Amino acid sequence: MSGISKKINPPSSKAENAFELTSLFEFSTVVNASLDLKFIFNHFLLTLMGKFLSLKGIVLLERRTNVFMIENVKGLSTELINLEWKLGKIPNRIIFIKAEKKSRFPWLKYFQELGVTVLIPLSTRNRIVGVVGFAPLKHDKKFSEKETLYIKSIFNIAAVSIEKGLFIQELGTVNRQLDRKIQELNTLFEVGKEFNTVMQRERLIKLLIFSVMGQIGVNRYFLCLEEDGDMRVVAEKLDRRNREDVCRYIPYLTKPKLVSDLNNKNEKPWRLWMEEIGIEVVIPLQLQQQTRGLLALGEKLNKDNYTEKDLEFLSSLGNLAMISLDNIRLFNDAIEKQRMEDELLIAREIQKGLLPSTLPKIPSMDISAVNISSKQVGGDYYDVIQLSSHHFVIAIGDVSGKGTPASLLMASLQATIRALVPLGLSLSELTKRVNDLICDNTTSGRFITFFWGIIDTESMKLNYVNAGHNPPVLVHSDGSMELLEKGGIILGIMKDVSPYVEGIISLHKDDALVLFTDGVSESMNCDNIEFSDEKLRSLIIQNRKNSANEIMNSIVDSIKKHAVDTSQSDDITLLVIKA
Amino acid sequence: MSNFKVGIRENQNIHIVDLKGYLDAHTAPELEVVFQSLLEKKNYNIVVNCSDLNYISSAGLGVFMAYIEDVRKNRGDIKLSNMSPKVYNVFDLLGFPLLYDITSDEADAIKKFCDKK
Repeated sequence: MSGISKKINPPSSKAENAFELTSLFEFSTVVNASLDLKFIFNHFLLTLMGKFLSLKGIVLLERRTNVFMIENVKGLSTELINLEWKLGKIPNRIIFIKAEKKSRFPWLKYFQELGVTVLIPLSTRNRIVGVVGFAPLKHDKKFSEKETLYIKSIFNIAAVSIEKGLFIQELGTVNRQLDRKIQELNTLFEVGKEFNTVMQRERLIKLLIFSVMGQIGVNRYFLCLEEDGDMRVVAEKLDRRNREDVCRYIPYLTKPKLVSDLNNKNEKPWRLWMEEIGIEVVIPLQLQQQTRGLLALGEKLNKDNYTEKDLEFLSSLGNLAMISLDNIRLFNDAIEKQRMEDELLIAREIQKGLLPSTLPKIPSMDISAVNISSKQVGGDYYDVIQLSSHHFVIAIGDVSGKGTPASLLMASLQATIRALVPLGLSLSELTKRVNDLICDNTTSGRFITFFWGIIDTESMKLNYVNAGHNPPVLVHSDGSMELLEKGGIILGIMKDVSPYVEGIISLHKDDALVLFTDGVSESMNCDNIEFSDEKLRSLIIQNRKNSANEIMNSIVDSIKKHAVDTSQSDDITLLVIKA
Repeated sequence: MSNFKVGIRENQNIHIVDLKGYLDAHTAPELEVVFQSLLEKKNYNIVVNCSDLNYISSAGLGVFMAYIEDVRKNRGDIKLSNMSPKVYNVFDLLGFPLLYDITSDEADAIKKFCDKK
């Protein structure tokens, strides 16, 4: 500063010099003490305007290349503040607007229109960072040497403070961005943690929506998720709804996008639809790189545009939610599977309890039975009931369906038979009553194929009724064969049907009678080929001389060989009687 | 288990909701229940006193977003008061001061409702 005072030293204006120095010193002290740009600009303009008797002042800083923002004005409309002007390159000297060629600096007209006459570039470290304009009353061509020196000094002082202020401002901005990023990460961390503990889908969806609304400041949205293979809207808050099915486009969206950027051929119709209902961004929700849902958001309440960072955040949050939603699904599947297994266990218990644990001895006959229940538990049933010393009921049935419902219907069949048999009615009448009772006690779509007969060991006759069951095979000792087919309609389909026909056959020594369910004849091998009635029949014929138990075992072994490497899909039940 | 509590007081037909502890993704549904019941009973003048609120996350802010519109549609408001600087910082970072009336003191918020009447 001493250098300046040496140069301006004409003795006649000592007092003036002193005043100028005081003013510079004061300015320097005040602006250096502040880090607030607004205050610095204010003081700067006022000092300049006071010194050169100007009624107007304006400060602009370069924000982007050649784009200057108005930071402060004096004597001009404050509405100018924060406006951005596109200027050209600013020459590094004092500019008297009147004297400049407007063709060279077309942007000077902006200042001229405001009545600004002089522009002075504001530079730090030889780089122009802004420009100051004012309108000194007495100067429209040039400043004196002394005035120029004063201007240089005050601009130098101001430049340092402004640089400091800008730096602080920048630091503030960066700090805030950092705070915001930390806050975003906190949100992701916290919500992610919470997502993992929530086991209800609805609650998780609500959490996702709350977090998005709070973080982004938006309250118009809709959320689509895949449910049972279909994309559905699972949550929404919109002012308008459009009926068109938008969900089918979702799988094609792989990146979060602004609706205004949906410009390719597939996306175009979508864009119109979204704009109509006020949606601004679409975020695909992905699981293993596949889009399985969509989060669509409306305008932010503060009217700000969505930023790239917003999209990133939303995408991360959405994908976290998807992972947790998938975990919930897997968890529920596991529970459901466990529940079904428990149910099957019950069904198996019921079935086991209904089948006879020991068979009554039939005089002069050899009898053997087996039930191998499948994993699913079918509704196979067999029974042997002694009516008198020489009358025995043999029965076999197959209830449609599997699991507990089939077991329960089977239980009701067993109870019905055991209750009706002692009435001493004819077999065809008994069958009709069983049918009527079963019809009353079943829901539609359930039925029972059923075969039963009464063996009279004295007359060696078998009276039987076949209600739609696989016909039992009777093989005589000479290898000839009969199928027991007489009877009527399957049980449980229709009440009061035409009467069941009763078949009567004679049994001879060494006859083999085999009752079976379709689990035997329809047992599949790994090529999906059935064991077949033919194979069963020839097997019985081959083994007809063996005991009931041996015949039974040969059939079971043969089925096992046939169905090797496959899982048994239906119950297998066999009842073999050897006369 | 929850380290969040909500209390409600009534003052001149204005409902003051006292928040205590941590309002985050885990506890946000509790605040939602309170707003739901206030709105069901047509109480639309609400002051949320945050003096004992230690932490708020975006899920917590989301609850305010979800209800502010209904409240204002019914000529009421949700005003927030007595925030600690830490809590205010979160509101500020997410741009909430533009959208909500935030006062330093509960009495100021109540006064604003009374003046309006």
